[in-house]
Amino acid sequence: MNAASAPLLAGDRVRLYLTLVPYLLERGQVTLDEAASDFGVTPREMRSMVEKLTVIGLPGDSGYWQLPQEMFDIDWDLLDEHDIIEITNDVALRRVPRFTAREAAALLAGLQMVAAVPAVADSGLVSGLIAKLSRGSADAPPDLVVAPLTVSEVQKVVSRALHEGVAVAFRYQAPDAEPTTRTVDPAQILITNGQWYLQGWCHLRKAMRTFHLDRVSDARLTDIAITHADAAVPAEFGSQTASGHVIVRLPERLVPLLGGFAHEEITHRDGKVTLRIGMADPRGIKRIAAKFGGALEVLEPAIARSATREWAASGLDLYGGPHAPDARVD
Amino acid sequence: MTRAQIPPEERLTNLVVALMATEIGLTKQQILENVSGYRQRSAAGVKMDALEKMFERDKDELRALGMPVETIGDPSDPQDLREARYRIPQADYDLPADIDFSEAELAVLRLAGSVWSSESVSSDAQAGVRKIRALGIDGDEPIIGFAPRIAVRDAAFPALQEGIERNRVIVFDYLKPGEASSTRRRVQPLALVEYEARWHLFGVDVDAAGERTFLLSRIVSDVKVTGQAFDPALRDGAADRALSGLAAVAASHSALLEVTPGTEAALRLGRRSTAAVQGMRVPYVDRHIFADELATYGPEVRVVEPDDLRESVIARLRAIVDAHSEEERA
Repeated sequence: MNAASAPLLAGDRVRLYLTLVPYLLERGQVTLDEAASDFGVTPREMRSMVEKLTVIGLPGDSGYWQLPQEMFDIDWDLLDEHDIIEITNDVALRRVPRFTAREAAALLAGLQMVAAVPAVADSGLVSGLIAKLSRGSADAPPDLVVAPLTVSEVQKVVSRALHEGVAVAFRYQAPDAEPTTRTVDPAQILITNGQWYLQGWCHLRKAMRTFHLDRVSDARLTDIAITHADAAVPAEFGSQTASGHVIVRLPERLVPLLGGFAHEEITHRDGKVTLRIGMADPRGIKRIAAKFGGALEVLEPAIARSATREWAASGLDLYGGPHAPDARVD
Repeated sequence: MTRAQIPPEERLTNLVVALMATEIGLTKQQILENVSGYRQRSAAGVKMDALEKMFERDKDELRALGMPVETIGDPSDPQDLREARYRIPQADYDLPADIDFSEAELAVLRLAGSVWSSESVSSDAQAGVRKIRALGIDGDEPIIGFAPRIAVRDAAFPALQEGIERNRVIVFDYLKPGEASSTRRRVQPLALVEYEARWHLFGVDVDAAGERTFLLSRIVSDVKVTGQAFDPALRDGAADRALSGLAAVAASHSALLEVTPGTEAALRLGRRSTAAVQGMRVPYVDRHIFADELATYGPEVRVVEPDDLRESVIARLRAIVDAHSEEERA
């Protein structure tokens, strides 16, 4: 569930009540912990919200106090002694409200993103869900659209291996390395920035590894059952525990462009930050650095700095001097 | 029983209950005298106009939460709100009874709701999923093995969404690459579109009087939502127009590239290319973004044409060499 850290605003609490009441009525009795986790709040916060539910009720009439049957009530003993929530008198809010426009939009765009996931595509449920979300929305949801991804043959084979619980074998061409043949127990397929990555247990390296599927070819299913699927999936690219590291400096506003690379801040001055990035071979920074067109400077180690310079310089050499003739095809 | 401080969520929730319990609607007077939260303040001698202002704010807040608060005015003079009645029609509030979700559909929506990294969009998606669970659906077979992620780290996102949802003109500073300073743009926002892993705002540039597509990453100021409204009909089909516009740009811009076989560039660019006499042709949407990518391939790729793309790549490579040529400054 999502983090329960941010404090709830009044509006959030109102929104929570409107869904909490039908949720509780539908289930009868729910433990405090379960309800808290389902609503992304702490058990303490959930207890306080449920207790305050008992001051909600129908309006009084012309100066008379509300009668008990006009107010929500809960089983106090059950809550105090067993941490279980049960509504014993309900006066309104029995039905689930419509989706707000933003709720529908967030789910609709998410749906378009996951429509390419084979398990979802095969289910045939997406178009029906789009219609239901649109019709169940209070107002027309804002258009929030993710362009459809096309699924390649390699992506399909890897997805099938994951689904069938068998290892997948393929040729892997890592940058600046000889191609290798790998056999991998698939654990997870990560799809981010339009790129697919397979995360799994590599039989060759005997460790969890992340493979960019663009670099995979000749993928084949094996008949080897998965044995290492439980190992922890790496959370980020690069690694804090890598044998080497690189120190770079770049404008603070460009840090998000580093994407998933794990990094650690060293200093921060005048809008520029100096970062340490874990990297097994520090020379590998040359490709990442080049994306910044000179705005990111590789400081250490010296081999990483010179590798970055040589990489760009040899690229520049392809264009010769300013007067070199340029062959063209029309 | 004196309860000087009744928290706003309690007053707001009581207001929702009261507005839903009435068929004919409640007058402002009835609400201020009877609904818990106003009633106590009224009895404690808080001035009527202060309470009325509070009610106006509460009404706006409920509408912002998607509550269909209806105002029933004097039929002979709809502008006269002195005797207006307020209510929330149950039929507009409830999720329509004929919309039902299967366990398999819930599993797909949970995956769809898990893709957001931005906290505000993610909590909208989770709130939507919670409403479905409150219907009593508990699909316990999650779709495992896939982790699709939409990275919305662009800080502008929530304000843009608000502008679209409320049909309000937004204002922001936009920095085009190669220009020394940003320009202020006034835009009728129509849709947010993710294309090739980047978020774009599609809308009508008010000063240019035409539809434009903006990259979120180039918005360099806060986004301000103004009070100036526009016709929501402009939003009809906007996402489709935006997507086909981007696809048309990609179809009309392509680069002729010479790529060293067997390299990272060959793998990554090869997926998007068509063969040409001299190397390969790769379509692209934005010259600056494509030049950033091409620079990362260093000597693995040479741009034959177009000229402006080639010059952009050369400028980047030269800047990288310059940034790394002097000895490292500690």
